[in-house]
Amino acid sequence: MLITLIRRELLNNLMTFRFAAATFIMLLLVVANTFVLINDYESRLASHNTSVNMHKRQLQETNTYSAGEIRVDRPPNPLSIFNVGFDKQLGNEVRITHVYVPSLWDAGMHGSSNPFMEMFASMDIVFIFEVILSLLALIFAYDALAGEYENGTLRLVLTHPVRRGKILVAKYISAMLCLIVPLLISLLLSLILLTTSTSISLNTDDFLRIGGIILTSIVYLSVFYLIGLLISVVTRRTSTALMLSMFVWGFLVLVYPNMILAVIPQHEAPQERRTAAYDKIEQMWQEFDKERKHYLATDDFPGEDWGYELWGWGSRSSNFILLGNPHTLFYKCRGMMNFHGFGEEVEPKIPHVRKHFRYLGPRIIDTAEKTWLVRKPALEDIYIQPANKERIWLKLSPVGLYDAATKTWAGTDVQGVRDFFNTARQYRKQVINYFYDTDVFGSRQWFSSDKGAADWSDLPQFHYQRVDSNTNAKRALLDVCLLLMINIFLFVAIFMIFVKSEV
Amino acid sequence: MWHITKRELYDNLNSLRFALATVLLLGLMLTNAIVHLREHPERVKQYQKGVSEYQNELHSHAENSLYDLAQEGPGNLYKKPSDLRFCAEGGETFLSEYADGGHNRWSTDTLESFWILAYPSATPNRKNVRPIVTKVDWGFIIGYVLSLVALLFTFDSISGERERGTLRLTLANSIPRHTVLIGKFLGALISISIPFTLSILINLLVNSTSSDVHLGTEAWGRLGIIFFIALLYTCLFFALGLLVSARVQRSAVSLVILLLVWIVFVVFMPSTLASIAGGSPSSGPTLDFWERSEKRGDELSNEYDSKRYKEPEDSTKRIELDGEFVIKDAEQQEQLHAERLNQRIEQVNRARDITRFSPVTIVQHLLESFAGTGFERHLQFLENVQTYAREFRTFIDDTDRADPDSLHILGVRTGMSQKPVSPEAVPKFEDTLNLSKDFNTAATELLLLVLFVVVLLSGAYLAFVRVEV
Repeated sequence: MLITLIRRELLNNLMTFRFAAATFIMLLLVVANTFVLINDYESRLASHNTSVNMHKRQLQETNTYSAGEIRVDRPPNPLSIFNVGFDKQLGNEVRITHVYVPSLWDAGMHGSSNPFMEMFASMDIVFIFEVILSLLALIFAYDALAGEYENGTLRLVLTHPVRRGKILVAKYISAMLCLIVPLLISLLLSLILLTTSTSISLNTDDFLRIGGIILTSIVYLSVFYLIGLLISVVTRRTSTALMLSMFVWGFLVLVYPNMILAVIPQHEAPQERRTAAYDKIEQMWQEFDKERKHYLATDDFPGEDWGYELWGWGSRSSNFILLGNPHTLFYKCRGMMNFHGFGEEVEPKIPHVRKHFRYLGPRIIDTAEKTWLVRKPALEDIYIQPANKERIWLKLSPVGLYDAATKTWAGTDVQGVRDFFNTARQYRKQVINYFYDTDVFGSRQWFSSDKGAADWSDLPQFHYQRVDSNTNAKRALLDVCLLLMINIFLFVAIFMIFVKSEV
Repeated sequence: MWHITKRELYDNLNSLRFALATVLLLGLMLTNAIVHLREHPERVKQYQKGVSEYQNELHSHAENSLYDLAQEGPGNLYKKPSDLRFCAEGGETFLSEYADGGHNRWSTDTLESFWILAYPSATPNRKNVRPIVTKVDWGFIIGYVLSLVALLFTFDSISGERERGTLRLTLANSIPRHTVLIGKFLGALISISIPFTLSILINLLVNSTSSDVHLGTEAWGRLGIIFFIALLYTCLFFALGLLVSARVQRSAVSLVILLLVWIVFVVFMPSTLASIAGGSPSSGPTLDFWERSEKRGDELSNEYDSKRYKEPEDSTKRIELDGEFVIKDAEQQEQLHAERLNQRIEQVNRARDITRFSPVTIVQHLLESFAGTGFERHLQFLENVQTYAREFRTFIDDTDRADPDSLHILGVRTGMSQKPVSPEAVPKFEDTLNLSKDFNTAATELLLLVLFVVVLLSGAYLAFVRVEV
């Protein structure tokens, strides 16, 4: 019986104009946008590769350790084609240095991109689904029950010994089958395009993630179909159902996500939180500076500051001046020296200079680590927490949930980007260990290249691997579950209303 | 005809869609006003702070000496925020709020680099982990929401009547078909104007209650123009709705077609076309901009160093060479910055040109030019800045020439006038909005919009005349 019902519904849906039009538009948009997105990804990848090489070259050309700037680059995420998230927007290169612990807020942007072009909204495949799939689902659903009420066919069907639940299930299954067809075809086409592109290599994990995105899309589709069905069963008239569906769609997809953040009270961490943390960090560095001055006053050449007063041929930049940015709680103290020769009168002082820097390096590292312990929770409170609160507001709409879930699957959410900075921090530890092991701070090459230049060849290499798909799945689980719960809730509601309604 | 209009009007006023549209538009316009009241005073304060800082700095340089003024430059030049920013946000957050007119790049024992005009780029989102959403400005409300509502008002105006059979009844009377069409058109226009006007009035009411928002007569004129542009844009979608509705037998099919057309033209075209046209910045120079600028600077200094150090320290020849070097260096660097800026502008202009296929972009451009925001406005600001930079340099030249004690060699302290300058005499930068210029840039777009409306309306007329009832 169920099969008969499903077949009837399926035939009814498949032969309609809306099905053909929907499939056509979906294919058109997804394929056209995939081309654009692949191009964009390729140019970002090219720019990434260029800058990796440039950074490598610049490092090799630096003759002293103190002037060396180790920079690591965040590669673009190939799954940003599905949901670009924060992949393009947040900084993608960061310095690895012993003087501060790098975070997302210290990152820069490489490449010769055009900042004006950010004016134009960028589009990804999930956005297309977000807009079109929901609309399609509603167009399929608005007359599913209301139409049958009007035609009187519902009465006819119910004269047979069919249970109402079965009719609902049949309608749901057949409509979902119809809706999944354009979704899968367009996704398959875009996947084919992706795999033919030479610069994009997808591994097993990536395919699992894409599977997760497809799954979430289907659940999202089902939410909107059920919303349409609910409207249909409540209003009982097709024209009213259609009108209401369209307004609900406009509200959920177009209005709510853009309006809600403006309406809710602003979540800002209190200014005192920032000032308190910054003062603490500043104080730590002041203490460090005091220690440094104390050392300089009591060493063999009291009164001479090797950071400032080491004279030779060459250059010196960013002296040991404490430098901070209260906005991002950034603080550093760095001296970069690049000498290639000293006068004879300086030569006897060199061992003391080396001793001084051997003393200073670990102190700076300690202070940097200590300030990081203050800075990390403060950054969390000031930037991450308010953003998370705003995200919760967005998730009140299924569109927001879908967007968040697919971002997490693709690894382009904030957490995914922060994973890179975690790796960068681990890499910094490796670099520091290497510096300790080879006594870089106490070497002559720290400030001068007159007796051989700095050797960067043994420096540990930086590798960044995105987290595995299991972690992605775990992170996305909550949002997907919420979407599923909305589904169940809606279905139960529809069932209750439909069972009780008079035909 | 008036009977038909009246009938349509009553029909619409009692309908669900009228109520929903009113609620939606009112909610959005109120949100818009609230956000504007929250953000605008902050913006104005920021601008005033910037301007006063600029004036103080200029003052102190001028009181030091002419050389200091010429070397330090005018400082940061700020863009005046528009009072009508709530009409069209115009991607202003991605456009810098100032131009940098004082760029200390290097100094040696005797020489200091001269100022150049540089164009910092605004990157508001680089460290922003908050969710990014479209700003709800009038451009959004009109461009997206109002157009959708317009389609929902007209999709069944002809096909629906045909389904119910009332069209036959109407046409049985001796009414020409075009009268019916115009009647329907006017009915829909009036019934949508009511909630729209109401919401706009409430928006303006809320905005003008605040003491921080000042709307002058000119601003009200601009708002009036914006209102008419919005109505014209709505007409476009009415015409489209009537056209499809006349051609299609069933109103459900008509709605599906209309929505898909709307999605393609309004939602997807602007961004997809922009990314295609903007494209990736052509393979581009492999050298980073700053690396290139450094390289050019080094080349120049190498070229001059050999000449300069041949001359004795205090000879006029040496001072002349020093000055020439400093000035040339500044010119060269400024040119590099200008070149980069022009490349970027060109790319954006390409993207903006091609997105004009989409009516929503047209209306947003129009709104931007009348609200005094957006990219065109930014270009105007940059032009103002460049004019001012020329004026400033001419002033330095003239003042130096007027001083008999000066050697008239620009670029070096010893070669230039050391006398303080009266701060009042120094030209001051003030950013201005030029309305007549707006009309020029807007004219093409306005005509394009009118063209779209006329074509679609005549299409709807032809379709309706030939339709069989």
